[in-house]
Amino acid sequence: MPLLEVNNLKQHFISKKGFLSEKRVVKAVDGVSLKVEKGKTLGVVGESGCGKSSLGRSILRLVQPTEGSVKFQGKEVTDLNALEMKKLRREMQIVFQDPYASLNPRSTIREILEAPLKIHNVGNKKERKKVIEELVERIGIRKDQLNNYPHEFSGGQRQRIGIARALALNPKLIVADEPVSALDVSVQSQVLNLMLELQQEMDLSYLFISHDLSVVQHISDQVAVMYLGKIVEFGDVERIYNHPMHPYTQALLSALPIPDPKQKRERIILEGDLPSPINPPSGCPFHTRCPFATKECKEVVPALEEKTDNHFAACIHI
Amino acid sequence: MLLDVKDVSLSLKREGKYSKILDQVSFHVNNGETVGIVGESGCGKSMTALSLMRLLPDKAKLDGEIRLEDELISSYSNRKMQKIRGNQASMIFQDPLTSLNPLHTVGKQIEESLLLHTSLSKQERRKRVIKLLNDVGLPRADELIDEYPHQLSGGMRQRIMIAMAMACEPKLLICDEPTTALDVTVQAQILELMNELKERTRMGIIMITHDLGVVAEVCDRVIVMYAGKVVETAPVEELFENPKHPYTKGLMQSIPKLGIRKQMLGSIAGTVPSPENMPAGCRFADRCSQAMDVCKTNVPQMTQVKKNHKTACWLYENKGVKKDAAAGSEQPKTAFYL
Repeated sequence: MPLLEVNNLKQHFISKKGFLSEKRVVKAVDGVSLKVEKGKTLGVVGESGCGKSSLGRSILRLVQPTEGSVKFQGKEVTDLNALEMKKLRREMQIVFQDPYASLNPRSTIREILEAPLKIHNVGNKKERKKVIEELVERIGIRKDQLNNYPHEFSGGQRQRIGIARALALNPKLIVADEPVSALDVSVQSQVLNLMLELQQEMDLSYLFISHDLSVVQHISDQVAVMYLGKIVEFGDVERIYNHPMHPYTQALLSALPIPDPKQKRERIILEGDLPSPINPPSGCPFHTRCPFATKECKEVVPALEEKTDNHFAACIHI
Repeated sequence: MLLDVKDVSLSLKREGKYSKILDQVSFHVNNGETVGIVGESGCGKSMTALSLMRLLPDKAKLDGEIRLEDELISSYSNRKMQKIRGNQASMIFQDPLTSLNPLHTVGKQIEESLLLHTSLSKQERRKRVIKLLNDVGLPRADELIDEYPHQLSGGMRQRIMIAMAMACEPKLLICDEPTTALDVTVQAQILELMNELKERTRMGIIMITHDLGVVAEVCDRVIVMYAGKVVETAPVEELFENPKHPYTKGLMQSIPKLGIRKQMLGSIAGTVPSPENMPAGCRFADRCSQAMDVCKTNVPQMTQVKKNHKTACWLYENKGVKKDAAAGSEQPKTAFYL
């Protein structure tokens, strides 16, 4: 049984401009199904506005999903009541993108790390102190820095504190929403290394959301490529990066600048930008930019199908 | 040589005290060449660009010589500088949304530099703007010219910024993280456009970025900066193949590479020192795994390690030759207050 199983998840937001104007529905996540295995990492990549962050949030029920099912360890999450949900949150935690905005500037690191323990009534004061001290030691911050405030730390240190907070309750799943995007490369690598080490030590599962293809490749076991609220390709990381099937994945990978000046490649340059999710194109969401689009693509919504062994793509031409 | 920057230092006033943001930055740009400036946040790469254009905050202290086409523009008055900006040298900023004025149409904003620097008539200007919009690959230019920035997507806005910068056919184009705010597929479009424009106009480009991938794709030569100093400079292939400075090496090792998975990446311990607390010797010494005693006390000078490849590191410095060069070279050539 996979640790997390998501089926046909939809997250629609209603956007209403003005008093008399009609309601418009933004389909941020539109029928996503995926699985995360225990101790593994599923990377979710896509460009801005593709719905990857909304996906993470609705899986954790930080926003109530519109439709679909989220099963965590076989248990349906979407219809739990508040009390049951609170219990479950110990098992699934989140790390946010911006380490400057996600730590309360008026709390010390000790208070920040103690908060989840207090909320879930873990141990007494003394035990909590021990847990916190072990935690900061694990993430490479000195014990005597515990009474410092977030502004006294660098971006990388803050992100590690964010990770420590997520780890405080010994969760099984961590949703990491662009955890290294705000960091410089040398610091980014420290955080990635920490995440990999922690995964091995604690058998953690990650849902790793990022727009950075090389980071996702580095940390993931499986990858889901999202476009306009839908998964267009899904499979093992080697398959996706070495033999991308969907035209969008191919274009995305070919657009990635490679830090090697000797490697000159044929680029697939896509026309235009991502269409608005308020008014998504009919049929295949990618047909407006797809170099191989035919008449059929405008009419038929392609389903995510297994094309080869454990490699799924949503395209009628494959 | 199109641009020659010699020993440029910049101090900014912070909390009543001057702190040195740039320290003796020297480099040059040739016609038709793209020079990358890389480094992590706070290394002074953007301030270098702003110093070249003299778009500095109040009470900035700038020393050194900047020559554009053999004109010593660092001695120019503000008024004279205005004739340069947007004309011979122009700049593209990172965030196209905040750098466009939401209250004016796209056409009006592109037209502005034509109005300032040329004597074209209204109709001629409009024609030229439409041509510029076509040149940067925007569709339906004759309608777009009367639209506002909020009606356009991020990629289109960045194209508008490029059209603005290109309006007077500058000799030098400074791009400060032009694609950082964009998605990869859009980034690929913009980088291609910039390469195309460079081929066509033979202008020199300074590409400021933290993304080594972008550097590898578009630059001919690279300058690596750390804590306000240039630490290494080399042609792009040489730099990636044979990085010399421990900081450059550290940067290269910390980027995830395609095909290698779940392995520990190299990283650089510690953080960048703040301008108020710069170490006496090499600024990277505290984070460097190969630091020696001399690194803590003496500033390394740029040393040639190979043809066109220079680095400032004691590992490569001719032992004992220029040990106290740092102390003797602190002579500001020109200074002015803004």
